[in-house]
Amino acid sequence: MIEELLYSAPSYLSTLIFFALGAGLLMMVLGFVTYAILAERKVIGFMQLRVGPNRVGGPLGLLQTVADVLKLLLKEDTIPKAADRPLFILAPVIAFAPAFMVLAAIPFSESLRFSDLGIGLLYYIAISGISTVGILMGGWASNNKYALLGGMRSAAQMISYEVPLVMSVIGIILLTGSLNLVEIVEAQQNLAYLFVQPLAFFIFLIASVAELNRTPFDLPEAESELVAGYHVEYSGFRWAFFMLTEYVYLFAMASITTILFLGGWNPVPFLEFIPGVIWFAIKFSIIVFIMIWLRATLPRLRADQLMSFGWKVLLPLALLNIFISAVIKEIWF
Amino acid sequence: MNGELILFFILALVAIGSGVLMLNLTKVVHMVIALVFTFLSIAGLYIMLSAEFLAFVQILIYSGAITIIMLFGIMLTRHDDKTESKIGLPKLILVLTGIGVFFAIMFFQINDLSFGEQATELHVDNAEKIGIELYSKYVIPFELTSVLLLVALVGAIVLAKRDDEKEAEDNE
Repeated sequence: MIEELLYSAPSYLSTLIFFALGAGLLMMVLGFVTYAILAERKVIGFMQLRVGPNRVGGPLGLLQTVADVLKLLLKEDTIPKAADRPLFILAPVIAFAPAFMVLAAIPFSESLRFSDLGIGLLYYIAISGISTVGILMGGWASNNKYALLGGMRSAAQMISYEVPLVMSVIGIILLTGSLNLVEIVEAQQNLAYLFVQPLAFFIFLIASVAELNRTPFDLPEAESELVAGYHVEYSGFRWAFFMLTEYVYLFAMASITTILFLGGWNPVPFLEFIPGVIWFAIKFSIIVFIMIWLRATLPRLRADQLMSFGWKVLLPLALLNIFISAVIKEIWF
Repeated sequence: MNGELILFFILALVAIGSGVLMLNLTKVVHMVIALVFTFLSIAGLYIMLSAEFLAFVQILIYSGAITIIMLFGIMLTRHDDKTESKIGLPKLILVLTGIGVFFAIMFFQINDLSFGEQATELHVDNAEKIGIELYSKYVIPFELTSVLLLVALVGAIVLAKRDDEKEAEDNE
């Protein structure tokens, strides 16, 4: 159905349908964010021999995040007197909008996708870069030194790790011969790129954790040194927007990792009777679990270690990977 | 009045409006934000011209570049620094006539300009087509550009290195 819509002539009806689909996706993502936060707290709790949230909504704490969001909505919305008011208000919007925009390019299964972009991968990488501007803006507009430090660190980190992130997927682009995410998934019908490009997978995973500002790379909001980094002056719903951005990017990054390296909706051999969307969800959940696992087990890096690791280890490895992929392509494909 | 025209007007208005804002705002960071909107709306115009690849490369490169400009803006200027512009009346009149003449020339030239038949197949595989053109017709300019970028990179490192040494000497 979406296929027909994508190729039909634009009309008021198709605009309406796409709007409704977008709203549906937003609801789905909000649902994911609600339970990803709960899952994160639960999993980290179990890993640290605690129980995690267990009061609101039964013994599993199923309504904990809902209660937290309600509390946030009721909180007073403060804007510091010395803050740069227009930028302070605009920053969470600029940070969040690209996080939701990138989801438009992600195909969840053969039929469940919202676009057929020839340059889907480039779209994802380009749009996700805009969020940095929002974060830096929020840090500067708060007129607080911790916030500014967090914003500056975030900008330095995001730009440094974007380079290996982009370089690591070039091998895949070379092997597929396309930037279209659907074609990339179709090229993995027999063998997922995880097994063809293991080096690229590890570079991508590390760089994506850094792009997501998660532990061990959570320097922009390092609680113990910067209070809370770039969003220290934000409260209530504006703060919720920054949090939402983070988790929507987690959703997007896990989806893109699934598509690029785990074969998207392609089933494991002999289990073809399970539909593609479920396969996508299973692979996606594994990636999200790995992200939470990393957060629970690794300590934070120092700022200089972070920079030298990005430029002196990941980037040369990514370049090496491009070289190897080019050789492999010349010989085998 | 179709959707394309409305979209064009919105994007053009944002591009020009934020360009003007960029010149008229007083704080450095505000100017940089205005610049972000100019670049983004220009990328939007590229998409309308079926040049998706160019549009997203524009966003990819400029969003990084603008963040860096913003960092420099924050680091190299004082927090509450403001630029004050003083333009005398004669200069203003001169500039306005200049703009008027430029507008007249452009208007009369563009008015009877014809591009021939419009291409309709531009959006098909355009990333692939750009690649083929770049590596067949324009190999030499492409390689020369990469050499130029390499020279700039090495030059930047040399400059940064020299500063380091000088500081080390000063400290001794």
